[in-house]
Amino acid sequence: MELLQQYFQSSIGKKQIVALTGLMLIGFILGHLAGNLLIFKGPEALNAYAHKLASMRPAMYGVELALAGTFLLHICLTVYLFFYNNEARPIAYGYYQPTDRSISTRLMPYTGTLLAAFVIWHLLDFTFSDQTGTLSLVGKESLGLYGVVVNAFKIQWHSGLYILAMCAIGFHLTHGFQSFMQSLGLNHPKYTPVIKIISVFLGLAVAAIFSSIPLYVMFFARIP
Amino acid sequence: MATLNSKIPDGPMKDKWTSHKSKIKLVNAANKRKYHIIVVGTGLAGASAAASLSELGYNVNVFCIQDSPRRAHSIAAQGGINAAKNYPNDGDSIMRLFYDTVKGGDFRSREANVHRLAEVSNNIIDQCVAQGVPFGREYAGYLDNRSFGGAQVSRTFYARGQTGQQLLLGAYSALMKEVGRGTVKMYPRMEMLELVVIDGVARGIVVRNSVTGEISSHAADAVVLATGGYANVFYLSTNAKACNVTAAWRAYKKGATFANPCYTQIHPTCIPVHGDYQSKLTLMSESLRNDGRVWVPKKAGDKRKPSEIPQEERDYYLERKYPSFGNLVPRDLASRNAKFVSDEGKGVGQTGMAVYLDFADSIARLGKKVIEERYGNLFDMYECITGSNGYQEPMMIYPAPHYSMGGLWVDYNLMSNLPGLFVIGEANFSDHGANRLGASALMQGLADGYFVLPYTIGDYLAGSSWGKTAVNHAAFTEAEQQVKERIQKLLNIKGKKTVAEFHRQLGRIMWNKCGMSRNEKGLKEALEEIPKVREEFSKNLALLGSGNELNQSLDNALRVSELMEFSELLVRDALYRKESCGGHFREESQTPEGEAQRDDEKFCHVGAWEYKGAGQTPTLNVEPLEFQEVHLAQRSYK
Amino acid sequence: MEQTMKLTLKVWRQKDKNAKGAFESYQADNIDAAMSFLEMLDVVNEKLTKEGIEPIAFDHDCREGICGMCGAVVNGRPHGPRKETTLCQLHMRHFQNNDTITIEPWRAKAFPVIRDLAVDRSAFDRILAKGGYISVKTGCAPDASVMLVSRENSELAMDAAACIGCGACVAGCPNASAMLFVGGKISHLGLLPQGRIEAKKRAVNMVKKMDDEGFGACSNEYECQAVCPKKLSVSNIARMNRDYILGSAD
Repeated sequence: MELLQQYFQSSIGKKQIVALTGLMLIGFILGHLAGNLLIFKGPEALNAYAHKLASMRPAMYGVELALAGTFLLHICLTVYLFFYNNEARPIAYGYYQPTDRSISTRLMPYTGTLLAAFVIWHLLDFTFSDQTGTLSLVGKESLGLYGVVVNAFKIQWHSGLYILAMCAIGFHLTHGFQSFMQSLGLNHPKYTPVIKIISVFLGLAVAAIFSSIPLYVMFFARIP
Repeated sequence: MATLNSKIPDGPMKDKWTSHKSKIKLVNAANKRKYHIIVVGTGLAGASAAASLSELGYNVNVFCIQDSPRRAHSIAAQGGINAAKNYPNDGDSIMRLFYDTVKGGDFRSREANVHRLAEVSNNIIDQCVAQGVPFGREYAGYLDNRSFGGAQVSRTFYARGQTGQQLLLGAYSALMKEVGRGTVKMYPRMEMLELVVIDGVARGIVVRNSVTGEISSHAADAVVLATGGYANVFYLSTNAKACNVTAAWRAYKKGATFANPCYTQIHPTCIPVHGDYQSKLTLMSESLRNDGRVWVPKKAGDKRKPSEIPQEERDYYLERKYPSFGNLVPRDLASRNAKFVSDEGKGVGQTGMAVYLDFADSIARLGKKVIEERYGNLFDMYECITGSNGYQEPMMIYPAPHYSMGGLWVDYNLMSNLPGLFVIGEANFSDHGANRLGASALMQGLADGYFVLPYTIGDYLAGSSWGKTAVNHAAFTEAEQQVKERIQKLLNIKGKKTVAEFHRQLGRIMWNKCGMSRNEKGLKEALEEIPKVREEFSKNLALLGSGNELNQSLDNALRVSELMEFSELLVRDALYRKESCGGHFREESQTPEGEAQRDDEKFCHVGAWEYKGAGQTPTLNVEPLEFQEVHLAQRSYK
Repeated sequence: MEQTMKLTLKVWRQKDKNAKGAFESYQADNIDAAMSFLEMLDVVNEKLTKEGIEPIAFDHDCREGICGMCGAVVNGRPHGPRKETTLCQLHMRHFQNNDTITIEPWRAKAFPVIRDLAVDRSAFDRILAKGGYISVKTGCAPDASVMLVSRENSELAMDAAACIGCGACVAGCPNASAMLFVGGKISHLGLLPQGRIEAKKRAVNMVKKMDDEGFGACSNEYECQAVCPKKLSVSNIARMNRDYILGSAD
């Protein structure tokens, strides 16, 4: 027990929990992405998926609570570590020139903050939106969640912000995935370079596929 | 007159150590914690001794001048460590290692000590492997060995080109283990400035905290000096900048005798000097001589590029003079010959003080890849410092002061003539005679620290009661006062010349008149010049700041002032020893072919100098050397 | 051939641990391209001494890149701009005439400045005293040939053991973390069969001490590896993370 407590108090323990929660969030993002792709199949498919999820309540509340907890833990620990790390160097360098850190690594605190803000906006915007109200109307007909999404993405700044957030996810994952492996000690001379490539690929893919939805809505989608 | 009783045990050579161990007195296990031991210095000898003594149960206080015990200069040894394991099955044995070391030392070491060294060499390897020293291994997982420094068997264990580092980190880890246990108290950034002797017995030391300037006293039942050598007396040497003679010199001035100070080793494969501002010389492992060929142009003053000098106009002088050993002759011969050819005007490079070390033939024979595997780090080092590529053009090398075989006199138990003062590692004199063989320094440091001192110190302690002295004894107060006065005196000079300028001046005298080749005239001149430098130092030293803060110039000034006093003794010893042996070459004593000529009639002994007071000429005590096993013979590497 | 240079140095001066430091500018003239960085500082210090200005304090000892005593952040990088090079092995030929060079001490809460460029790195020793060793007493070791070590592991252990304890990893890390130093020692010993026995306990105890000393956490930015003069790889940190989980689960 004492060791476990010590583990949670330690810098490595915290980092490993950040890594684990991060991995869980990657899982969530991939699942979410798969669901979102139903938009390409049309309003029925997407709405049916949304209803299906809604119909699974109250069990779904448990899942959502766990997800929210994971998010919060991930955010709280990283924020804590951010300040903890700042404290380890009370006097800053007059001249500090980092060497070859990748851009995704440098941007981690910023992409992270952006994503936290995005999640709140996104929840208000889509998840908790009135899916039968005026925002869902396409023409005169309510198209449910599909309508809300399509209407939102028809607005350029809205899509723009969304795509910006997806780029942030992309960068965040590019660092995050390989970082997760390192933090849990999964480093190997042969496989680590491959993991780094996978990491970049994962970030790019997630950003591109998520962004494809607003782009599709803006430029290609014909409103039924 | 000091009495030098070497206390060599009786009996056949091979049984001496064993029977000695079984006869010496032991300290009761329960009483060990009542004894306090001070260890000064944390190189291989100091760290290993401190750790081993603490494991036995003694209370140990350890002092070092660096910010961490891990930084002692043992860390810079590259090549390897010898042991008579005979793993390669090439006929090595304790006897052979013993014989090689005695012969290599040009018959000026104490046989019994050397034999013991060879005996415990195997235990050292066992100990280090158990500590996690990552020695080089073969693919099957067995330890690898190589031949080193001209040895005819492969008895050298190595950890890449960083053997000293790895062995020191091993000893340091053992030390930190004991620090963690709370039985060793570590005092980093502390410099010993005085030895306290009460009623003829070493009882403690006075140190200065180099961060706060605080002077403090530390009492103990025994004091162990593991403070290294004095090669920095030459200013430019391969030693670290902080290496100094202060601790040994203070002990000398308190009555410990100083043996054979003129035995200094000049290492043949160093990067040549390139400017006045130069602060130190860098050594490259002499393993380079395994595949590199040493040459100079045949014609004096030939300034052509090396590639433009055809084969027939090159003088591969080591191969020519020593056909059977060639480029692998012992260090003293390789160094001296480099000096001789440079003095003839055949030296190369901007200063003319360098010779070529050429790998072209080896690269042609073995391929660049093999050479790179063997010496890659050394070629990188060479390029980093000189900016030139050793694969494309020959390296330039020149000898540099490197190690001091002389040191405080000790008996078989490693105790000086002052009871309670033990001296181990490079700081003592006993094992290397007049010349040290490659890969033997590491062996000796660890032998003394792990396997000799922990036994022999018990013999002394068992005969004395613990806690005899406390730091409030008047002798400590007095010593502290003297140290403070010494410091204040330096600070009060307020002259114009910096410490480094004086050190350079001293170094030039020593290098030119008492370096690789010495003669009566030069030595006498040195004995006149050194006091003049000292005189000027005491009147014209520029030293800023105070004694109550981190003041690196003050640290240096203190060290240089002691080196200056010591240098006179070194010259005096060189003048006294009218023979050539090992690293000490007297031009008056050479064979018709120009080789070193020993004079066993007159000088087959240890010369241990005794301090007689300021301004007095020291007196010489003699310990005759008897050779029971290895017969005195003129060294020949032809 | 090599010409001389004129440089402007912006050096951090700080009287002692508690004083407030500041940058001071000094002129360095007649700097030979073949000098090492520390020799350049020597020359400047000689000049300062003669002008009655207290010389710049900086730690150094072996001046051949192995003792780990020297180090300063030069133009924003620990040990200066050249990779895999300690400050004492950095030569002035890598600078240009009329350059301005900024020189600062390592900055970390766990490495308080003692004076000017000299810092107190004793935190490293205290961490190692908590487990940076194999608990073998002198005299009880079996014959060295009894224990076989695969060449791969032996080489990896040597890679990790090459650490000189200079602290550049801490200085270069945006979080002033000591993970590469600690990971290096844990890897060196943990890769060897004789060191494996204590591996888990070692990781737990050393990491605890590392945290207590006030070093930051790792955020996998790998700056430590980039500035390490001895090429220690961050794979050593991964090994430590692994041993730490195992140790904590015990």
